[in-house]
Amino acid sequence: MNEDRLPPPIRDVVLPAAAISQRVRELASDISRDFRGRDVYVVGILTGAFIFACDLIRRLRVPAHLDFISISRYEKRPGTGEVKILKDLQDEILGKEVLIVEDIVDTGLTLNYLIRNLSNRRPASLAICTLLDRPDLRIAQIPIRYVGFNVSSEFLVGYGLDFRGFYRHLPYIATMKDRDSLPPGKGGKGSGGGVLRTTR
Amino acid sequence: MTGSAGLASVADFAHESEREFAQFLDFYQIEWRYEPLCFPLERDPQGRVTLSFTPDFYLPQFDLFVELTTMKQSLVTKKNRKVRLLKQLYPDVNIKIFYGRDYRRLLFKFGEMAE
Repeated sequence: MNEDRLPPPIRDVVLPAAAISQRVRELASDISRDFRGRDVYVVGILTGAFIFACDLIRRLRVPAHLDFISISRYEKRPGTGEVKILKDLQDEILGKEVLIVEDIVDTGLTLNYLIRNLSNRRPASLAICTLLDRPDLRIAQIPIRYVGFNVSSEFLVGYGLDFRGFYRHLPYIATMKDRDSLPPGKGGKGSGGGVLRTTR
Repeated sequence: MTGSAGLASVADFAHESEREFAQFLDFYQIEWRYEPLCFPLERDPQGRVTLSFTPDFYLPQFDLFVELTTMKQSLVTKKNRKVRLLKQLYPDVNIKIFYGRDYRRLLFKFGEMAE
């Protein structure tokens, strides 16, 4: 997609496709170096990390197995319950070198839960790779070994990141316009009480 | 320490945003205490406390105090001064401030854009 012709709700491209591609290559190179001589079990966190995980694994130069896991996310409504796994890994990870791949880390609470859960399965090692990091919003100090980019707290879409399920397909990462400038049905004034939901 | 833990729906909060944050922590099974400690910051010549600061939350798992600032800028400035004093007087205390903009974006991500 031509980055000069942005969809109406998109404000600015903060990470062009070329910059993302270059950084993914660099991350894959670092991971391949660190895991040399070992197999790596890549765990992508659905749904946001699916594009990043696929691009990353194609650049790895070590034997890699790709699996995905899905975790429930907090929603601002009564009866949300507690965090839980919606889709679990297909294989056991006992004794395996696990690399968790996330799209974006902010509070770290999702990963904090996942690390506790996966650690109980006794992998040989557990490392984290995130494309985007928002350390300013961190609550749980989790050990992130590989970080693509540090970003501000602005809401971002594209390259797997969504807004109400849309814009994951964008090859770049972008900010969105303010709520009042969004069209009805896309989270703007006419979106029914202003309730916005993401499926990230 | 006194306060509540894991009882976001029934605990008393000074502000609705605090209840929302407690529910957020409950979802992730993070233990919390609400306003468990008051830190004296300034005293008069007689030793009486003239300025103090009570962070909104304490999270034992992370040994972290959290302060939510969803209010107007003039009050944020006053609170920033208190946090600065807190860090000077109690350097071992870990505190995280969520400013209004950050907090609204967290809510935005997790289900609702704040007004």
